[in-house]
Amino acid sequence: MKNILIRIRLLVFACLLTGCDISVLDPQSKTADNQAFLISFSFALMMIVLIIVFLLMTRFVWKYRETEHNKNTIPKDIKGNKKLELTWTILPILLLTVLAVPTIAVTYNQSATTPKATTQDDAIHIDVTAQQFFWTFTYGNGKESTNELVIPENKSIVFHLKSTDVIHSFWIPSLGGKTDVLPEKELVYKIDNPKKGTYDGKCAEFCGVNHTKMRFTARVVSEETYQKWLTK
Amino acid sequence: MNEQAALFKDKQLGFLIYLFVESVMFATLFATYIIFTPAPSSPRPIDVFEAKSVILSSVFLLSSSGTLIFAEKGLNVRESKQNLTGLGITLLLGLIFLGLEIHEFYKYVQEGNGLTVNVFMSAFYVLVGLHAAHVTFGSGWMILLLIQYKTMKQSYQLYTEKQRIFQYYWHFVDVIWVFIIILVYLPYLL
Amino acid sequence: MTIPFFGKSIFVPSDIIAAWILSIVLGAILFIYVMNKRKWPLIWEYMRTTNHRKIGTMYILFGVIFFLRAGTDALLIRLQLAQPHAAFWVFQQEKYNELFTTHGTMMIFFVAMPLLIGLMNVAVPLQIGARDLAFPFLNAVSFWLFLAGAILFNMSFFFNSAPNAGWTGYAPLSTDTFTPSVGNDYFVFSLQVSGLGTIFTAINMIVTIVRHRAPGMRLTRMPLFSWATLITSFLILIAFSVLSMGLYLLMFDRMFGTGFFSGDTGNPVYWQHLFWIFGHPEVYILALPAFGIFSDIISTFSKKRIFGYPAMVLSIILIGFLGFMVWAHHMFTVGLGPMANTFFAITTMLIAVPTGIKVFNWLFTMRGGVVKITTPMLFALGFIPTFVMGGVTGVMLSVAAANFQYHDTHFVVAHFHYTIIGSTILGIFAGIYFWYPKVTGKVLDEKLGKWHFWLFIIGFHLTFLPMHVTGLQGMPRRVYTYQWGDDLFALNLTSTIGAFLMGSSMLFVGWNLYKTHKHGKKVGNDPWDGRTLEWTVQSPSQENTFEPMPIVKEMDPFWYAKVSGEKLRTTNNTRPAPISVNTILPFCIAFSLSIMSLGMIYTWYLLAVLGGASAFLLFIVRSLTDERKAYDLKEGHSNE
Ligand code: HEM
Ligand SMILES: [Cu+2]
Ligand SMILES: [Cu+2]
Repeated sequence: MKNILIRIRLLVFACLLTGCDISVLDPQSKTADNQAFLISFSFALMMIVLIIVFLLMTRFVWKYRETEHNKNTIPKDIKGNKKLELTWTILPILLLTVLAVPTIAVTYNQSATTPKATTQDDAIHIDVTAQQFFWTFTYGNGKESTNELVIPENKSIVFHLKSTDVIHSFWIPSLGGKTDVLPEKELVYKIDNPKKGTYDGKCAEFCGVNHTKMRFTARVVSEETYQKWLTK
Repeated sequence: MNEQAALFKDKQLGFLIYLFVESVMFATLFATYIIFTPAPSSPRPIDVFEAKSVILSSVFLLSSSGTLIFAEKGLNVRESKQNLTGLGITLLLGLIFLGLEIHEFYKYVQEGNGLTVNVFMSAFYVLVGLHAAHVTFGSGWMILLLIQYKTMKQSYQLYTEKQRIFQYYWHFVDVIWVFIIILVYLPYLL
Repeated sequence: MTIPFFGKSIFVPSDIIAAWILSIVLGAILFIYVMNKRKWPLIWEYMRTTNHRKIGTMYILFGVIFFLRAGTDALLIRLQLAQPHAAFWVFQQEKYNELFTTHGTMMIFFVAMPLLIGLMNVAVPLQIGARDLAFPFLNAVSFWLFLAGAILFNMSFFFNSAPNAGWTGYAPLSTDTFTPSVGNDYFVFSLQVSGLGTIFTAINMIVTIVRHRAPGMRLTRMPLFSWATLITSFLILIAFSVLSMGLYLLMFDRMFGTGFFSGDTGNPVYWQHLFWIFGHPEVYILALPAFGIFSDIISTFSKKRIFGYPAMVLSIILIGFLGFMVWAHHMFTVGLGPMANTFFAITTMLIAVPTGIKVFNWLFTMRGGVVKITTPMLFALGFIPTFVMGGVTGVMLSVAAANFQYHDTHFVVAHFHYTIIGSTILGIFAGIYFWYPKVTGKVLDEKLGKWHFWLFIIGFHLTFLPMHVTGLQGMPRRVYTYQWGDDLFALNLTSTIGAFLMGSSMLFVGWNLYKTHKHGKKVGNDPWDGRTLEWTVQSPSQENTFEPMPIVKEMDPFWYAKVSGEKLRTTNNTRPAPISVNTILPFCIAFSLSIMSLGMIYTWYLLAVLGGASAFLLFIVRSLTDERKAYDLKEGHSNE
């Protein structure tokens, strides 16, 4: 199942249109992987709907188009059809139920929460402060970095997000979805098991003049490198 | 059907829908008030509100609905005097209410509890202030009605319609005041 | 560019200078044209009219003009985004922010809304056998309020202070702490003024539809566009009231020092709730009338009654109802928590069901019919796949956890353009082609209409299909540039090319209007072989329609009368028509309110008081000169 989905993903999005890999669909963490799965899964389900509509429409328009021959006929009146109408009420409901199940599962897991809700011992906690127009990351030992986030691979990383001015949004497309960074309330977002690499991070909530430039780099490194970096 | 009556029914329906719009607006402001009260910083509602002034202004405003109904009775039976006295007293009560409101606001501001001291006060003023603006508008409306009644350049029926529409408005403003008592003042005065 | 101004020299960006020059030149040309052709009486007539068709025409005229303005913004956006590290003209940073804010706000409030309301004005009374809207005077007030709001909004740009917080005006960015210039005050007041007009229109439509239907035109026989208008009007009542109060609070935050939405004392997310309790129903306010238009058009050009009429009506109602239960799907990332996120994910998915029902009913209306592909029908046929594509991405967006990725990227930009352009804009075009004879008495040229359609639809997909990918590739919305390393160049360039194709399609509209009016022939009452009552009245519709009044015995009454070769039965015994008048008061009221708004925006409170006082004065005049008095006296009622 998953294989097919990946193939659809590659086929329709990537190869056909760009020929390069698309960051969100090339997940580099468990969190992002779940999200990419949901994207592909919903996409596949929706393609079914789309194809049915396209086929029906092409067929009806072609078959019943006005020609010399039927120009003056007055078609028979059809008020409706209970069976058909029930079909296209119930089938979509079933389809959506199928979609709702993984949606609920992953959403429950991944939704950003307030600090008290998350207490995982082995997780790495990092304070993220957003400010017009840069990011400050504060690590457990008090070390700070600006516009550069360094995290160890294969760990759970818990971000504590807080803004000092307007609303921003914390986003590393390859590692997971976004979470808004609010001025009045701290939010907590978790990214599980990132893979080694260097990724782009951006602010995804319009926050003023230089919103465009409010980017940062996320480096996922090995545990030792991380420790070394922390004490540097 | 009477031609005028049909047109009046249109207007009646239209105005009732308009009052529905107003109630959605007030509902939004009530929600705002409830969300922001009490505010994290002082003053708290109990520090500000005073039962006496609320009761006093309520008496005036709520009884004005009664006098308006009295006026309507007069209107129905073409008792000019009853109608005019009713309207006049209603107007007077409305104006007294306004005076009390202004006095209340003035006192709060004197005590240092203006619009911007905290979100609770802000939410209070934008809600109760908007209501007061409605009373002001209604008072102006009543004056206009009195003038129209006096000069009467129209048929009695047409005038009746105007006053009817006004009555819906005034009662509506009163109902909003009842909600203000229940949701804004009472929880913090009991 | 720096310009001396009363001894000071002020900096004025060159785009604004260009806009001034362009407007002055165009204004002068227009003035000369009006002078030469002696059109003043016509303009004066329209300024004082309360007739639904004429007001509808003005709505459409100005809607199209603002469409060109906001469309120009779109092209400028696309030019700036055409390549990485671009620096097109002045449109970076603050200028870019102003650009997408004006584009979005104008398109929603001053393009889509007035165009739809214009079509409602033209068609709804004729469809249900009403002689005018229930309150003609109020209708004129609505129109002038819309225009006042729109002009106010446009003025901000000419004074180099366009709003810049996005059409969503998210706080605290939109509060005076972070955007102190008057731009967002313009936003607040222009939406407030025009929103009031919209609310009045909704009231007017509801009363008209509830009380002014022709005899026998039961609700269960009413054309679907009228149904959609009715439900839309209910949505407007609630949605625009909430918006109005949101703006009211924002005004206090910006001008009088309160802190409802500030990050320190208030709650910025509360603004988002208020905005989207308005905003989500708003997208259905835009979509439902378009659904109605397409229902009527598809049925007309398939020569068949609509398939599953009761289901069509029920689904409109259901969509309208569910529309109020999904607003937080715009807020999945603000930390409402897992419970809220799942709840809103599910309700959002549910909306897909009634929408799907409509799509299949449209398809099955064509089945077994004789499908005549005229320009309006072509737009309807373009609508179905386009809108369904927007719909399926909508379902994808409702998957909350996946939404963490899509949110605020170009994927979302693609999604809502597929739905809004796919339904509303295509619907408006279809409606304009369809009802044009009822407005002017002529049918627009079919060949040029088809050119318009194909260029527009191809350009559209070329513009927005790639945005799905750029979004997933990591391109946030509301950014004015991107980097070479982001791998976004090819797709963005494609979008830009597509946008210009769409833009060029509008040239065909212009050409078409010109050609039709120069060479087009007058047509009869019923150029499309229509089904509903509007095709029984003259083209263009007269001021005294439905005399005598038809009696309706079934749905699509005109069609079945034609099929059976009989005339519609009529009667002279009808309810009184709304009284039309010629009055300049509505114009003056709107003018006073814009003066008041200007006074507020620039905190010249004296001016504000003057404007407000003059508005009240006009109310009084209105009350004393009520048109029913004249009518009343004419009828011969005496005083006692
Ligand atoms: C005519 C062709 C159009 C083009 C090429 C176009 C293009 C765009 C683009 C590229 C953006 C994203 C700007 C950004 O996030 O940086 C945008 C935003 C937007 N567009 Fe359009 N658009 C078009 C028509 C429309 C129409 C017809 C509507 C609605 C009736 C509309 C409504 C909006 C809205 C609401 C936004 C969001 C603005 C914001 O972020 O505050 N657009 N448009
Ligand atoms: Cu930002
Ligand atoms: Cu929505």
